[in-house]
Amino acid sequence: MTTDTVLARRLVMRRAFAVSPERLFDAWTDPAVAARWLFTTPDSQAHAAELDVRVGGRWTITDRRDGVDYVALGEYLEVDRPRRLVFTFGMPQFSPAFNTVTVEIAPAGDGSMMTLTQEHLPPEHHPATRDGWDAMFEALEGNLAA
Amino acid sequence: MLRTLAAEPLSVGELAAPYRMSLAAASKHIKALERAGLVRRTVKGRTHLCALDAAELASAHAWLAFYQRFWSDSFDVLAAVLQENDA
Repeated sequence: MTTDTVLARRLVMRRAFAVSPERLFDAWTDPAVAARWLFTTPDSQAHAAELDVRVGGRWTITDRRDGVDYVALGEYLEVDRPRRLVFTFGMPQFSPAFNTVTVEIAPAGDGSMMTLTQEHLPPEHHPATRDGWDAMFEALEGNLAA
Repeated sequence: MLRTLAAEPLSVGELAAPYRMSLAAASKHIKALERAGLVRRTVKGRTHLCALDAAELASAHAWLAFYQRFWSDSFDVLAAVLQENDA
């Protein structure tokens, strides 16, 4: 794996996977697969992934560690299977800041090369911050009602 | 450029000199650093003085280190999940 870091809050990571671009893309968008690796840890006790995979759709992943629910959430900005997926990502419990994550997948030999770019969005550039809080409260209400 | 600035605040011309860069090119680099919040510029008469924002730089480093580790660990698990599905 190679890692490039550019100025300040922009992270670029590349990794090769031995599966087709379609299968790799679906690992991000199929809740059954995503729940096993995305925004979770092997020590997590419970994990819920709600992924409304379409442009403008919201995603929420709730991970329970040591009895505490951690909520990661955002909105899909681009969905182009199997080449490109762009979404915002925030954890309002910890920070009002949002990041964008761009996943690009290209065929490489018998498998795929995945490039992930994460960029920090300054709060003034993120009109969805308020939406983020709203979505977290909605998720919280859902949990309480369940 | 950031390493040069770490010692003391410098003017745009002083910053550009060691890199054999034009003032315009140096100015472009400095603007990018400013946008990233790493450099603060103050104007004194005709001189633009640039200073490093060390706290912001440390925070940017911490951010990078955290997410590098985070995604690297996540991709390890993803590779294992994909391989398991193959079996």
